[in-house]
Amino acid sequence: MKFAHLYQESLQKDGFPPDWVASAISYRQLKKCIKRVETELSSMGLDADTLNLLLKSVEEQHTKHDAQVDEEEDEKPFRYQFRSQDLNNENGDKEQGTSNGARFLPKLLFAVDEETGEPLDASLTPETKREFHVLALSQQLTDVRILDITDDPARRSSFVGSFDSATSDMSDAEKRPHRRHSRPVRMVEVPLTSDSEFFGMLQDQLSGLAKLQAEQNVKMESEVKELGQLVTKVTDPSQGKKKNDLAQWRKIFELYLESRVFFSTNEQDHGAHDSEKAEKNLRRFSEELENQKLLTKFKKPESKEALDRFISLNLEILQNLRFQDINRLAMAKILKKFDKRTALGVKKTFPSTIHTSPLTTSVAKAICYQLSTELLPIVPALDDYLCPVCFSISYKPIRLLCNHIFCIRCLVIMQRARENHCPLCRGEVVMQADSRNLDQDLIEYMKKWFPKEVRSKQHENERAAARDEFGENYDKCVLM
Amino acid sequence: MALPKRIIKETERLMAEPVPGISAVPHEDNLRYFDVKIHGPSQSPYEGGVFKLELFLPDDYPMTPPKIRFLTKIYHPNIDKLGRICLDVLKSNWSPALQIRTILLSIQALLGAPNPDDPLANDVAQDWKTDEKAAIQTARDWTSKYAAPE
Repeated sequence: MKFAHLYQESLQKDGFPPDWVASAISYRQLKKCIKRVETELSSMGLDADTLNLLLKSVEEQHTKHDAQVDEEEDEKPFRYQFRSQDLNNENGDKEQGTSNGARFLPKLLFAVDEETGEPLDASLTPETKREFHVLALSQQLTDVRILDITDDPARRSSFVGSFDSATSDMSDAEKRPHRRHSRPVRMVEVPLTSDSEFFGMLQDQLSGLAKLQAEQNVKMESEVKELGQLVTKVTDPSQGKKKNDLAQWRKIFELYLESRVFFSTNEQDHGAHDSEKAEKNLRRFSEELENQKLLTKFKKPESKEALDRFISLNLEILQNLRFQDINRLAMAKILKKFDKRTALGVKKTFPSTIHTSPLTTSVAKAICYQLSTELLPIVPALDDYLCPVCFSISYKPIRLLCNHIFCIRCLVIMQRARENHCPLCRGEVVMQADSRNLDQDLIEYMKKWFPKEVRSKQHENERAAARDEFGENYDKCVLM
Repeated sequence: MALPKRIIKETERLMAEPVPGISAVPHEDNLRYFDVKIHGPSQSPYEGGVFKLELFLPDDYPMTPPKIRFLTKIYHPNIDKLGRICLDVLKSNWSPALQIRTILLSIQALLGAPNPDDPLANDVAQDWKTDEKAAIQTARDWTSKYAAPE
């Protein structure tokens, strides 16, 4: 199936809001525009085949001269570049606030001889050459660039016919023998209109997308903030343990982090996920919530609401990611098509020209970052308070001189083994630790935020201490 | 004796998020005994090989380091005929904050950076010092001979 069709179909059926669909890259329109560019170029004798041939002949020369080539860019017979144009001068305030302040206009430049204005390539038709010549003469005063271009004998002979000042040029080359046979060249702009139309349209659509993205961003940001207030309320430990959902939310956020919906920190598949993978992970997260019956265990009615909103926020991020993926694909496809029909090589140059585009800056990334810095930390995670030796909560916490924290039990074991080195930094600080190293503030904090974990660890510590005192069988004794 | 929480957690994480190029599977009848496989690092003479090791967690782990030995024959200046490994973090530089996964990563790194100045297998280290090129070739030969993936 044609991409244009597939693209329309997925825009329709994936449940994007109408205003999103309206802002999407309009592949069909752009495709029609490419046709016009193609026609315009052919009418000047610059169809894709001719241009490709030109590029190829230069490449062959490059392989011949291999070692001597230093400025590859300058040796191309033509260049297609983007020039920025400050929008604010023209359109005033209208466009302010969108992320793309400056616009880029495309420009086709051809190498011509500096003195005569003759185009330097033989494979162009006489009419095209003549046109360029006229162009060059009329642009005499603008855009002068002195460049060196290769000039091997084979090519030179083909120029002779249209070359009046060959002799003066020869002497020029002789004056600078160390620079290889070279001839001053300047670039002349070939005026095209349909390509400006194409890139204008594309950039309009990109700034439309950027605007939409910014709106979405604002919307989701405030949603994260509201959610944060809600979660703070339902997990507040000062209400007494019977009246808060701290443990439930800790479990939910742990599960969420484990599901690694949009990003992974695993060694095996680290980095951002595409929409497909994110969707799969998000589904797994919801299923797991269901399996562990976390949806029904709440003590506070607001918790249910908060969880629903948390899930729909994630769905929203996913939808944004999807929309971005599909637009990115459309843009890659349309640029590829442009290149195929014109040989102007924009697939590489255009994206690097428009540094930031709504297709590369990720809303998902921004919102996920906000989630992980503003929402998730409302409920302190157990992982951040584990003893690095026994992997359970580091209660009671001993803060060594090097500021590393271990549970009191592991510290006692280390001291008994006369192991003076801190397990994390190897600092010689273990033996000097005593009760003054107990971190009282942290003790209070842990009691408040991890009541259950603290109780069970305390129990474990006491049993272990008793075993030390009364022998292995201590806890098997039964009091009569 | 019940398995300490730490060993259970380490094992769970090794299963859920394996390290690329490394696997460690505990025996069902002894959860302190692991079958380990390490892929030779790329751009080393061990590339393409899969090396089997055994790993045992002693009773006082993590206060003492795990006991690890190569089962696959390997030509390496810091690994002897019996598969014993000369690596500081397995001996004097062990720290109870190190884990199975970090230690296995260290061993994989040791394959990528042999250290003939601190040898365990004296003859191999000697070869390595006198003719490094030949030694590397021998290591490569042994890899394809003994460590071919199944």
